[in-house]
Amino acid sequence: MSVGKAAVKVLHLGRISYGSALKIQQRHIKQHLDSSSISPNTLLLCEHEPVYTIGIRQAPYPPEEERRLKELGADFFRTNRGGLITFHGPGQLVCYPVLNLGCFKKSVRWYVCELERTVIKMCSKFGINASTSPDTGVWVGNNKICAIGIHCGRYITSHGLALNCNTDMSWFDNIVPCGIVGKGVTSLSRELGRDISTEEAIPKLLEAFTEQFNCTLTYNGSFS
Amino acid sequence: MAMCAALRCVSTNFSAALPLLSRPAHIWTCQNSLRPNILRTLYTSSRLSGALKFTDKHEWVRVEGGVGTVGISNFAQEALGDVVYCGLPEVGTKLEQMEEFGVLESVKAASELYSPLTGEVTEINTDLADNPGLVNKACHEDGWLVKMTIEKPAELDELMDEAAYEKFIKSLDS
Repeated sequence: MSVGKAAVKVLHLGRISYGSALKIQQRHIKQHLDSSSISPNTLLLCEHEPVYTIGIRQAPYPPEEERRLKELGADFFRTNRGGLITFHGPGQLVCYPVLNLGCFKKSVRWYVCELERTVIKMCSKFGINASTSPDTGVWVGNNKICAIGIHCGRYITSHGLALNCNTDMSWFDNIVPCGIVGKGVTSLSRELGRDISTEEAIPKLLEAFTEQFNCTLTYNGSFS
Repeated sequence: MAMCAALRCVSTNFSAALPLLSRPAHIWTCQNSLRPNILRTLYTSSRLSGALKFTDKHEWVRVEGGVGTVGISNFAQEALGDVVYCGLPEVGTKLEQMEEFGVLESVKAASELYSPLTGEVTEINTDLADNPGLVNKACHEDGWLVKMTIEKPAELDELMDEAAYEKFIKSLDS
């Protein structure tokens, strides 16, 4: 049991391809697994070019589906995270916490719940009343504002959450987001009726993260 | 008569089961609702007492007739949440101890599974395809994941017995 708060390093990756971000996550996972001393907990923040990604349940998304989505101009990745299909693109703040749950609590159910609470807390800082539902993620009414999908191996987490700030929501029309029929998607900008960029959302998300996870954040540079 | 003798032989080993085994059929029918619970308790306790070995990653293995049945512990299923998908290896897959052999999905989280032993997968629990929740509801029995051969029986000695595992998970809650 560690004394005091866990430390988490924040890394701003900016606009980066999905594949490159995956490689960076894998490097950080390796650091956790190789090191026998202090775990380098890291929070990666980024935005991607348009890409559709799926999780370990591959059956609903055969090669024809992959082709269809690529023809729309997006990239496509099959990943090792939980959750079904989602979209990442400009205007969406993507956050990949690569944490050792041993520094917090060794339960993925707890971890996912804390991620949801972090985003709900962040939304309330914007005056948005968000909530959870039986479907994992963060919702404003029947519309999902933030998708969550993670992987955990040897208590090291990867993948994370994707918060719509001023995303072009039409990309979501091409899929059944997260496999949930009959529900929609929304963004911070849609809910507040004004343009909210990922830059504006970052400080509030980080604030909510430190509060919810009771950790201290360290930086290599400034916010933006 | 031979049947009664056989039952008596069996019942000396399972004295707790003696009343049930000697009870006439019509009484079993009346107590149908109780019977599964009683039998399951007896079955479970005789299986659990010293028979399950645990890893520090919360998988268990139960050895019967040279075959190891593998599953995850109650602690693990609670920590996962409701399992919605089980990604299991193909029959014939050769595994090293502690090698990743599959993945469970719950609450949009994919969690890796680690083999408790070195051996070859001989069977996977196909019930989990349509009923992944068995991993939560019956993690020690119907929610088993795979069966495998036991190439290195000495590896079993490295695993925790039930008492040691209980102590281990208590230490995690600190």
